[in-house]
Formats: sequence, structure tokens, C-alpha cells
Amino acid sequence: MTLPTTPLSLVVNGRQVGPIDVPDNLMMVDFLHEYLNLTGSRLACGQGVCWACTVMLLDTDGAPPREIRTCITGAHFFAGKSVRTIEGHAERDADGNVTALSLVQQAFIEHFSFQCGYCTPGFVTGATVLIERLKREPVARADVESTIEAALAPHVCRCTGYVRYYEAVRSVILDTPGLVVG
Amino acid sequence: MIIRKVWHRVVLAAVVIVVLGGGFALAVLAGAFEKSVVSAAVDTPLSPEEIAELAPKGRYIAAAADCVACHTAVGGAPWAGGRPFEMPVGTLYATNISPDPTYGIGSWTRADFHRAMRDGVAKGGRHLYPAMPYVSYRQMSEADVDAVWAYMLTREPMAVPDRQDSLPFPYVRQFMTFWNLLNLPGNVPAPDAQKSAEWNRGRYLVDALGHCGECHTPRDITMGMMPSRYLEGAVIEGVDAPDITPEGLARLGFAPDRLAGFMRSGMGPEGVMGFAMYDVVHHSTQYLTDDDAAAMAAYLAGEPAPAAPVVAAADLSPETAANGRRLYVAVCAGCHGIEGEGTPSMAPPMTTNAELRLPRPVNLLTVLADGIPWRDFPHGRLQDMPGFSDLLTDGEIADLSNYLRATWGGRAPDVSAADVAALRRARD
Ligand code: FES
Ligand code: FES
Repeated sequence: MTLPTTPLSLVVNGRQVGPIDVPDNLMMVDFLHEYLNLTGSRLACGQGVCWACTVMLLDTDGAPPREIRTCITGAHFFAGKSVRTIEGHAERDADGNVTALSLVQQAFIEHFSFQCGYCTPGFVTGATVLIERLKREPVARADVESTIEAALAPHVCRCTGYVRYYEAVRSVILDTPGLVVG
Repeated sequence: MIIRKVWHRVVLAAVVIVVLGGGFALAVLAGAFEKSVVSAAVDTPLSPEEIAELAPKGRYIAAAADCVACHTAVGGAPWAGGRPFEMPVGTLYATNISPDPTYGIGSWTRADFHRAMRDGVAKGGRHLYPAMPYVSYRQMSEADVDAVWAYMLTREPMAVPDRQDSLPFPYVRQFMTFWNLLNLPGNVPAPDAQKSAEWNRGRYLVDALGHCGECHTPRDITMGMMPSRYLEGAVIEGVDAPDITPEGLARLGFAPDRLAGFMRSGMGPEGVMGFAMYDVVHHSTQYLTDDDAAAMAAYLAGEPAPAAPVVAAADLSPETAANGRRLYVAVCAGCHGIEGEGTPSMAPPMTTNAELRLPRPVNLLTVLADGIPWRDFPHGRLQDMPGFSDLLTDGEIADLSNYLRATWGGRAPDVSAADVAALRRARD
């Protein structure tokens, strides 16, 4: 049996990928893992409730990026689109070695936010999407905590009590100029 | 001379008509044509022993009649009312029906309660607005109204004042006498001897307690339910309350035995109870006994039930089919299955989904745009469904809904991007 395939081209972490023949029914998380060897996006529930598998969908016309669950979204949904996976957050040198973590990644480490780390790629993605949104639509200081809670609420972590994740994100928001008004 | 006589007669006739018409209107206004279905038997109060004995039954009847949905506001004190009803002319609020003597119905008599429930007239002769479904409750038996009365008397009194209606003219209430003349049936239908006891019980559950017609029967220009179009479906809060006549239910794919289960669990191969019906399952139908759920389903499905029509896929243009399929795999199949088979305890199947079989696409388009929040169903919590209004274009949502409806609902693919855009504007 051969699976019907369709050529797929997209941009992943700033790099043009494809066209690759990809089965029509393949979910994005499997495409990332099996075709691109980008195994950082975690498959946990596989049914859209834990948000461990999310990636950033980047908008070309300047709108804030969106967080998409790759376990329930088909690979071909991303045809012609641009995404950032967990592998695309840190800065790297020409050989691909990490030279600097992103602000969110660094804050998670400094706050001891995670234990096993299985949920962390999703939290990095969710927090980064939030920061990008706040760059365009800052919030009042009084609303920072509730904004973080609302943005990260769907992310499930089985090890921690979430507090250190939320505190890390708060410190990034308060330390980055322009995200908070008043 | 003759002309003068004729002229006199015309004037006289006009005067008579005006006087009679005015007299008639005054008589209607004074309630002269109102007919109470409440008997004198309820003039004696219930004894404390009767109240204690009837209250548990009353709890069940009150659940079947879904009293709590309106008389307990979200987050409000139990039975203290407060749920708002937005009307074009203002907002009505459900009232406090806890037994508080000042703010609730603690000072009412048994007969007052019966008249409110079945005649639409509260203590002191104040007319209720038909947001209170007394047109339906009129068919309740006196025994059942007594049981609810006993149940209410055994609740905690809540000293919560009623919220003031924001209707512009408070004296409109008395004009409900006109409305009642047109829309409140004089009599309660007798049991149908041609039908089984189960069917008759089902009719009672549907018409009297469940007051299904209040949403599922279209209303005429006076806002009264149209008897000629009983349960044929109506628009409620912008979406379709479906046709639940036997033919309507058969077209949606509900076999009688399945319908009973669906009423109680709120989910099944036919999909998930959505919109206002989620609350109805939550507050009411999940508590029906096996027998009552079966009776309700037997009545609604019809005796004998019509054969379920075979739902064959409707034709799609090759472009819509390809684009719809691509979108289905992209954003739906992860949960609803590559072939629409669904995932148990997670996402209902598409293949047998009633929503895709509805004549109009508005419910599907609303769900595709907004998604569905996570829900507590009697057999477990169901995760949320995301909405796609930000992720897909109007044209894509049109293609996707045409694919879904044609493939699994057997409905013609007649949704256009303009329809989706119009709905988007209406909701914004
Ligand atoms: S693995 Fe995708 S949401 Fe859980
Ligand atoms: S750190 Fe283990 S699941 Fe979150």
C-alpha cells in the first residue's frame, strides 16, 4: 500500500524546506519528527489538550504569531507558511551550535521553571507568542498576571506547580521595555 | 330625508361598534376572558406532612421542567432568580422563587403558585410575561405542580430582591390578557387513547414539563407558538433549534432508542448537544429516569417512528471536494478522524453527525467560527473545540462546511464565502 502524497514546501525556522512528498494525512508533529528530524516539539496527549506540541505560525504581514498544536493540525496546513519550532528560538552560529538562548528560555532556566522538561517546548512557544503579542498590544501592569494565566492556561505540566513558569514569564514581561503600559 | 336617515344609521352603527369594541377590549384587559385551569381543590394549603412527602418528587419534576435554568442565575443564590432575558424593548429578569417571605414566594398560597404555573398570573393578579413558559406548564397535572410547590417550600429562603425589569412600560403586564386570549390554550389536551401509555407520558414530558416547544416551535407575529408548526424548529439566539418532529429527527439520524440516550448523556454518534441544549442536558434531561427518557424519545420519534432516510453524499465540484478535503485533514481530522470516524471520549464522528444534516448551515458555521468551550457532560468532561474564524478565510470556511455537509450530511453545498462573511458581521 502506498500512501497518497502531495509535495509540501514551507519555511521552518527561517529556512526554506521542500518540496518534499508528504502523505496527505500526516499530522505536522510527525512531519517535524520524521521528515525534518526536528524532535523538540513534544507529542504527549496527541489530541490537542496538553499543548506540548505547539509551534509558532509566523504571519508575514506583521500580525502577531499564533500558537498551533501540531498533533491535531495536518502538515499540509502549513504549505507555503512559515513556522518556528522549539529548535528555532535560540541564536546559533554557522555550525548550528547554540550561542544564546532566547529571553524566555533563559528565564525558564533561571527560575528553575521545569523538572522533566517534557512540557517545556510548548511553554517556550506559548510564552514567546505572548511576548510578541504584548510588543504590539501592551497591557496595564495590573493585568500582567491575569494575562499570563490566560495565555498559558491550556499548557499542561505534570511536574511543576506552574508558578515558576508564570514567574519567569512575568520577569521577562516586566524587564522588557514596551510590554507594559502605566 | 332618506339620506339623513341613512346617515343617522351609519353614525349609530359606528358608535355601537366603537362602544362594543371598546367594551370588549376593556373586558379582555380586565381578564374577563381569562380561563383558569386551576381547580378549587388547591385552595386548602398542603399540610407539613404532605409537603415533606411530596418534596422529593418535586425535586424530580422541577428538574424535568428545568426550573433552575432560569431561576438560579449563573453564580447566583439558589432559586433567587436573576437570569436576564434580553428583549428588543428591555431586559427581563427571572424572579426569586425561594420561600423567602419578602423577596421570594414564601407568602404565596398553594393556589397562588398553581395559578402562576398554569395560568400565568402571579400572586395579587400580576400577569407574568411568557418568558415564564406557563403556556407549556398549563398542561402540568395538579399533583405535579403540588410536588414542585412542596419542593420549593423546602428550599432555603434567599433574601435576594428581584432585579427590576428595564421594560419601558410596567403596565404592559396587564396587556398580557390580550396575548393570553390569542396564545394560551383554554383547555389541557386529554390523553390520546389511540396511543400507548408510554407515548402519552412522553407527550406530557415534552409538552408540559420539558416545554420543548418554547424553543422548537416557531412563533407567529404575536410571539405565540404556532400550533400548526408544532416542533418544526425555530431560530434561538442566532442558531437553529432543529425540527424535532418525527420526520425531522429521522432526517437527523435519531433512532428512538438512541434519542433517549442522547437526551441523558448529551453526546453520542449523533454528536454533542450544543448551544442552549447543553444547559438543558446539564440541568434537566440528564436526570430523567430510564422510563421517562424512553417515553420522551418514543413520543418525539413518533409511534410508529418513520423510517430513517438513507443519507447519501451530495455532489461536490472537484475543486470544492479537493479543497474541502484538504482543509478537513488540516484542521479537523486530528480529532474527528481521517475518515470522519471520530475519537471516543474526545471528538464526535462526522459520519453520523446530526449537525451536518441540518437544512441550514448556520449552526455548523457558528461552531466552525467560534469553536465550543470544554464541557462537563454527565459521563465526563469533553475538551474544547477551537474556532477557526482567525485561522481560515471565509472562502475556506465555506469550502470546509460544504465538504462536511455534502459528504456526511447529504446536504447540497450551497454555502458561499459571502454567507460566512455575513455571519461574521452579524456576530461582531
Ligand atoms: S500533544 Fe498536541 S496538544 Fe498534547
Ligand atoms: S516539567 Fe515535567 S511536565 Fe512539565
